[in-house]
Amino acid sequence: MKGKKVDRRTFIKLGASLAGASAANRFIGARAQGSGQYEPRFPIEKGARLRLLRWSGFVKSDEEYWNANTRRFTKLTGVPVDIEYITWEDVRPKAALAANLGAGPDIVMGWYDDPHLYPQRLLDVSDLAEYLGNKYGGWYDVARIYGYSDVVGHWIAIPVGAPVAALVYRQSWAQEAGFDTFPTDLDGLLKLSQALKKNGHPTGFALGHAVGDGNVWVHWLLWSFGGKQVEADGKTIAINRQETWNALEYAKELYQTMVSGVASWLDSNNNRAFLSGAISLTGNGISIYYAAKRDFPEIAKDLNHANFPVGPVGRPTEFHLFTEAFIFKYTRYPNAAKEYLRFMLEKDQAAPWVEAMNGYVTPALKAYRDLPVWTRDPKVTPYRDGIARMLYNGYAGPPGPKAAAALSEFVVLDMFADACVRGMSPKAAAKRAEDRLRRIYS
Amino acid sequence: MRAGSLFRGFSERLDRSRWLGPLLTSPALLLLAIFLAYPLFLGVWLGFTNAKIGWPGRWIGLENYRLLFSDPVFRITAFNTVLYTGVTVVFKLTLGLTLALLLNQRFPGYRLARSLMLLPWIVPTVLSAIAWWWILDPQFSFINWSLERLGLIDQGINFLGDEWLARASLIVANIWRGIPFFAIGFLAGLQAIPKELLEAARVDGASPWQTFWHVTWPLLLPLTTILTTFSTIWTFTDFQLVWVITRGGPANATHLFVTLAYQRAIPGGALGEGAAIAAFTLPLLLLLSWAALRALRRQL
Amino acid sequence: MRRSRWFTLYIPVILFLVFLLFPFYWMVLTSIKPNNELVSTTANPFWVRHPTFSHILYLLRETSYPRWFWNTMAVAAGATVVSVVASYLAAFAIARLRFRGSEGLSLGIYLAYLVPPAILFIPLADILLKLRMFDRLWSLVLVYTTFLIPFCTWLLIGYLKNIPVELEEAARIDGASRLQVMTQIILPLSVPGIISATIFAFTLSWNEYLYALVFMSSPENKTVPVGLTTELIRGDLYQWGPLMAGALLGTLPVVAIYFFFVEYYVSGLAGALKE
Repeated sequence: MKGKKVDRRTFIKLGASLAGASAANRFIGARAQGSGQYEPRFPIEKGARLRLLRWSGFVKSDEEYWNANTRRFTKLTGVPVDIEYITWEDVRPKAALAANLGAGPDIVMGWYDDPHLYPQRLLDVSDLAEYLGNKYGGWYDVARIYGYSDVVGHWIAIPVGAPVAALVYRQSWAQEAGFDTFPTDLDGLLKLSQALKKNGHPTGFALGHAVGDGNVWVHWLLWSFGGKQVEADGKTIAINRQETWNALEYAKELYQTMVSGVASWLDSNNNRAFLSGAISLTGNGISIYYAAKRDFPEIAKDLNHANFPVGPVGRPTEFHLFTEAFIFKYTRYPNAAKEYLRFMLEKDQAAPWVEAMNGYVTPALKAYRDLPVWTRDPKVTPYRDGIARMLYNGYAGPPGPKAAAALSEFVVLDMFADACVRGMSPKAAAKRAEDRLRRIYS
Repeated sequence: MRAGSLFRGFSERLDRSRWLGPLLTSPALLLLAIFLAYPLFLGVWLGFTNAKIGWPGRWIGLENYRLLFSDPVFRITAFNTVLYTGVTVVFKLTLGLTLALLLNQRFPGYRLARSLMLLPWIVPTVLSAIAWWWILDPQFSFINWSLERLGLIDQGINFLGDEWLARASLIVANIWRGIPFFAIGFLAGLQAIPKELLEAARVDGASPWQTFWHVTWPLLLPLTTILTTFSTIWTFTDFQLVWVITRGGPANATHLFVTLAYQRAIPGGALGEGAAIAAFTLPLLLLLSWAALRALRRQL
Repeated sequence: MRRSRWFTLYIPVILFLVFLLFPFYWMVLTSIKPNNELVSTTANPFWVRHPTFSHILYLLRETSYPRWFWNTMAVAAGATVVSVVASYLAAFAIARLRFRGSEGLSLGIYLAYLVPPAILFIPLADILLKLRMFDRLWSLVLVYTTFLIPFCTWLLIGYLKNIPVELEEAARIDGASRLQVMTQIILPLSVPGIISATIFAFTLSWNEYLYALVFMSSPENKTVPVGLTTELIRGDLYQWGPLMAGALLGTLPVVAIYFFFVEYYVSGLAGALKE
């Protein structure tokens, strides 16, 4: 009962600050309107009308704030914007359709390498990217990689942010296992996991074809040992090497501490397992915390987050989802589209929106580090830091169709599953991955 | 007067098979020609190109097919698809027919039973697949829960994590979904069998089994062929069930042609290759259809 | 006699129903189970201790579920009517009339069925775009006929071939035209076949996911499967309760309709054949 009370109080506090933020916005909006002047940075075309395709928010408040901001944009500029929300994994087929047909939504908020699959079909947004970067403390390195195309030599997408994943663990159980603070190296992580398992609290990391949770932790682990699927030239397959074998050896030991059944886990399995108390440690977005606050206040109090530890390479090598907005060249209103994105990512709009998402998406602009959402609840802070600690899909090769293909075929994930679940030797597993990568990168 | 004779001429022609036939088939053909013939052509053509999403690609002949044959994942997929289709169709056919024979009788609540048995077929697959996903979940499976309570096992069965168990699980889920299709089809077929024939057989002293084998079954054969072929095609090109429950995992042990084609073409961006995989189902299905059609012609 | 009926009828029927319905039991439970009970490894998964209607209310109040439902119904009904009519005409021609090319036609219709949609939605989209049919609900009606017509036609051919030729010949001798034969003699006899074709067609369109997802873009054009998955699956958080409530609520009316159909087609042919 007590837990519920605390929960409600924090909820009210959060609500109040959100209300404050949006009230401030309304004031700013009203002022801009009152003076009768809205000065677009990009001269909006006459009769413009936009269509946006984006993933449905991880929390409903995301959509509410995004829609409210959009309505203000429409009010100020007279440009109506139709928004289509679909499940995050369904954005790719629809965006693919648009790219192929040369018709469809003007703006798409997609994932990972999406814009790099068809850079020549996308509007050059360098001016907007530079404007936003200069104004808001610059882009994170990874944001530039996802937004800028070396193939066409300009920005093809406006990075939006990363739904960061972190290690989610039960504090009391970690303490019981002798860890008052969360380990920051791989050795410590393994020891903690083994101690947890010994106490009857196994860990759990997805090894099924989980697009998010599975890919996230195996790439982090591979990279943390210095492994990579391909060299920077995007041609030389580099997976079958000592670094990879080491990572696989480590994974095999970590696997011994996992609950049974991870081999079939998809994205939502670890959420359920963690909330039920079946596992003590997993890697996930903030969604577990979010659901715990709603339905399992006791667990919400006890769980905490930590960034993925640093491995032998000596620097963070995390991997997270990443979303960016891009405009198709076929749009009849390129300036209106750019203006819309600018408007939505300006602080007046972006700040309350990011706040409303409760830490789900970490913005790609550094200035948004300072938003209170990241520190109001210290448990959220690791999700802010994750974006500075991440590498990009296809590392160390360039993002693009080949990297996208390798990720979509779960080559790295299958390699880890081969070694952990199916008892293959690290060398055999790496060899199999090498063969598959060779086909993809040929 | 002239209008009258024109009309008469028209209606006379309309009465001739060679005019009426094409006329009656034209709506169906028109719809199929517009919405299917062209996509089919384009799809097959794509399979001979290296098209990527957003790139038209160019003709590369049989290169995609050559690469596929040397791809172990594709070989596993081919094996999975044949196994999945073969096993499920046999079970769906026998179980569906059995169910139809049972429900063809009158008993209290037979109408309710006939409607309820359709449920697996009606619920959108995307959602029933989610239900199966829970039933087979390593942590929350109520099969595991029951077996553990009964003391039969002490650790949960890893339904979807083990390659063969995952195949078996998906096969069971597919059978579950497919039984009503056969059952309702056969039920209608059984209704069409003249009662006099069955009566006559009974009067002649045939056992129920003999009646079934010598009277009912031969009459059901054409229908069986049709139901089986269509079910085979559906199963062969199944997508949703696998995509929701395993995504083709573990270790690609449950990938089917269409899930692999989709994975490579859309998330993977390789349209040409995906189209080649999808097109690969065509010759196999053609072969099957040819056999089915021959069988049908003999039976009718 | 009584006992043998238990073994040959009741027990097998019960076994079948248990197998076919047990996932639904889980779905029903889930739609009334509070979240904290659902995600529990210790609680009895076969029961619910504190049933709640909040999931169902959420579905009805916070989502556009009724809208999705009517969309789906309209598309499924439209596609069914168009397909069954077109298929019946085609099937009658192929099964009952002799004309050149009928073999080829039937084969062509059959082959059309071999096309898997998961990959061909891109070329198909190209056509819809050219015909300006994107994001229009009625365009789904026409698209769905591509997978309904081949099946319905073949199913109906199967039924039509079973109807004795003598009936038709008698009518022809009495001076009926072929069209009259079709509408007045054969049609009443093929009601069971038409009803099964209807059930198949309706169910298949009701179920369809991919085309409804990629060809519709306005929120008001979503169908039940698409609406439920886009609104209730948020990242890795599934709203299990409302999802399952949505699946069940949508299914019940369909089952109810079938309930009456089933009775109809039981009596349909049996009576007609006695003439």
